[in-house]
Amino acid sequence: MSSWLDYTINGLIVGNVYALVAVGLALIFGVSRLINFAQGSIYLVGAYIGWVAVVQLHTPLPLTIIVVAVAAAIVGLIIERFGLRPLQNSVRIAPLLATIGISFVLDQLVMLTFSPNPRALPSQLPDVRFQVGGGTIGPLDLLIAGVGLTSALLLFVFLRYSKLGWAVRAASQDRDAAMQMGVDVNRVNQAVFGIAAALGGVSGMLVGMYYNQIDTAMSLQATLKGVVAEVVGGAGNVPGAVIGSLLLGLVESYGVAVFGTSYRNLFAFLLLVVVLVLRPNGLFASARQAPPEPLTGTFIAPSRPVRIPRWALAVASAGFAVLPLFPVSFYVLQTLINAWLLGMLALSLTLVAGTIGQVSLGHAALLAIGAYTSALLSLALNVPVGLAVIGGGLMSAALGTLLISPSFRLRGHYVSIATLAIGEIVSLVILNWESVTRGPIGISGIPPLSLFGYDLISPTSIYWFSFAVMVVLALLQGRLLDSHLGRSFRAIRDDDVAARAYGLSLNRYKSLAFIFGGFAAGISGGIAAHLYSYINHETFNTQQSILALTVVILGGLGNVVGAMLGAVALVGLPEVFRIAAEYRILIYGIVLLLLVRFRPQGLLGTM
Amino acid sequence: MTTSASEPLLALSDVNTFYGQAQVHFDLSITVARGHIVCLLGGNASGKSTTMKIILGLVKPRSGEVTFDGASLIGLTTPQIVRRGIASVPEARRLFADMSVRENILMGAFVRNDREAIAQDLDRMLTLFPKLGQRLSQRAGSLSGGEQQMVAMARALMSRPRMIVMDEPTMGLSPLYVDRVLELIRTINQEGVSVFMVEQNASLALEIAHEAYVLQTGRIVLSGPARALKDDPRIRDAYLGGSEAA
Repeated sequence: MSSWLDYTINGLIVGNVYALVAVGLALIFGVSRLINFAQGSIYLVGAYIGWVAVVQLHTPLPLTIIVVAVAAAIVGLIIERFGLRPLQNSVRIAPLLATIGISFVLDQLVMLTFSPNPRALPSQLPDVRFQVGGGTIGPLDLLIAGVGLTSALLLFVFLRYSKLGWAVRAASQDRDAAMQMGVDVNRVNQAVFGIAAALGGVSGMLVGMYYNQIDTAMSLQATLKGVVAEVVGGAGNVPGAVIGSLLLGLVESYGVAVFGTSYRNLFAFLLLVVVLVLRPNGLFASARQAPPEPLTGTFIAPSRPVRIPRWALAVASAGFAVLPLFPVSFYVLQTLINAWLLGMLALSLTLVAGTIGQVSLGHAALLAIGAYTSALLSLALNVPVGLAVIGGGLMSAALGTLLISPSFRLRGHYVSIATLAIGEIVSLVILNWESVTRGPIGISGIPPLSLFGYDLISPTSIYWFSFAVMVVLALLQGRLLDSHLGRSFRAIRDDDVAARAYGLSLNRYKSLAFIFGGFAAGISGGIAAHLYSYINHETFNTQQSILALTVVILGGLGNVVGAMLGAVALVGLPEVFRIAAEYRILIYGIVLLLLVRFRPQGLLGTM
Repeated sequence: MTTSASEPLLALSDVNTFYGQAQVHFDLSITVARGHIVCLLGGNASGKSTTMKIILGLVKPRSGEVTFDGASLIGLTTPQIVRRGIASVPEARRLFADMSVRENILMGAFVRNDREAIAQDLDRMLTLFPKLGQRLSQRAGSLSGGEQQMVAMARALMSRPRMIVMDEPTMGLSPLYVDRVLELIRTINQEGVSVFMVEQNASLALEIAHEAYVLQTGRIVLSGPARALKDDPRIRDAYLGGSEAA
């Protein structure tokens, strides 16, 4: 059993690592008001470049650090120049989505180059530990602390005494005014991305050495932790990011000390949610605030939706309905079943993100709630499967809305961060609440779908069932959007201040949207559980949330038909072209990037 | 470059500007003669501030020409335009609130590299704006509105501009500071800097301007020497509420 001092040292060391990521995020947020979701991917790239340097090139440690920093900085510069600069004049959501797309692409490229198997990254330092008080400390701890402190010092000197540093500070306080002083904001952005990437890359390498292992799952975790630390410290606040990181490291370390390793992330995300609810500007925000997030309406690309005549929709639906009567392969049906399930999730997300403007990055949590509820109802309480799925929908509606409600007062990026965190919390609670969810073992032997006592086992019947459920949900949602309620939703999205001035209660309408959306997603999750017959806490993950978001953006935010079209396109096309599974995520990332750049309103237009 | 004294320093000709579908400027033409103070008057949403943004390159016109010292500014970025010799005092001052007053003023010299001359100019600013001397290390955001206006003007002067554009320099200031600011604009102008200012307060602006333009929903409806406009009944009706009392 380690001593408290050990946990403190560990917390501070891990905090130092987070700080290297969070400081970069804070610099970027300061200048561009952008949460860079690709930061973790740069960290991942840094770790693998470190591996190449150490294991294949046998570089000495100081050279390794320099190689990693320079290579990562180059990646950062490329991201800024080709991924983000073209989006300067687009809607606010565009760069955010672009960084998500970039992170998919980078992660997949690393995975395809180095294989998904973990690799050992030797630390190149002697493996000794010194006694300090009641704890121990090793050379690697000192190296990490040293790199953290040196970077902080260099950054301070840069920001305080160099001309470019002044430009960075000026641009982060008032971009237009800085331009009017002659500051070239593009150069500032470049500098900031280069620095952020260098710090992030070195951080990834150090973590790889610290745990003596690197794998591609590091990326998302690093982004999440960096974002938590940054928001806790106050978005855009560089010293705040450092303190937020150390705090996060300590909270996690003590949490692990008391409850065990599987609780580490739970503490991180709970800390984030608490801070977002109580002090959305972070713990160390000054009295004067960065400009508030824009009204959600300016966050989403406005457009005129493509009107599809009713008869065309009817023909298309009839076509899909009679499809199984033709000699199509089970493989096609299976693919389309997946598309219908994703379509239900997309209906839910397009309502929440598109119609009422709450861009959720944790939508898979609603699937998980629906799936677990339905599975447990049918297994533990012997509820008929049909009812259990509906129960899953209801539970997802109720619990999802309850969980998301603390974030109702947030806007823009903050909603996305909060939903991301809540999504992670749901998956972590599932992992740790063993008495109910069976923890990491997952739930197996979930009974197959059945309706009024008839088991739906053949692909044809499952196809019809899931298609019918999706169409019913879509019709309901279409009615909803045409009603007074739908108009109120859009009013809140376009201008929440004006909507409030007209007497619309934001909380009530946001709740209604999440209840309806939660139900659709819960149904989708419930059906999926009975199809898969086995689920665990990782079945419904962030990757699925992002996939759903890509689907929704592809179809056009808020667009009901678009959501279903997007689902068919993103699930179906890779199958049609027989693209190997490992390239699919790469394709999704590229699709997202291209969409954001060339058709931010999606195929059918936002509504 | 051959520049004659009669050629205007700044000229906007037939500028048409759009925000999406909405047209903001209709064939806007304005000239600022060398060494003059020119004032653009107009009510809310008349397109005044957009005119300033056009000059600074923050908004691109759909058609028309903007020249400074005979050379076109169209297609240049804001920093490039600043380097040509145009400084600005933005609306609501827009100081870098978390930077010190000294840093704010020095940010004005961002386009310059002559350290010693910059230091001399900083001293000169402190004689021009003596109050700022005690405030140098204070956060700019902690100053009063009037003091912030002083910082914004000092900051603009630090680039040694040939012209300063000002967006409503007297907005939100106490009467005492309004007089002080107008006085300073005159002083700056006498030192050879041309001034283009956008104002809502017509009577004040016409006090110090050489020429004035009146902008109404994107069109110039009136222009001429300030002295003549001051007595123009149309101005008095539209902007001075029919009396000089304001």
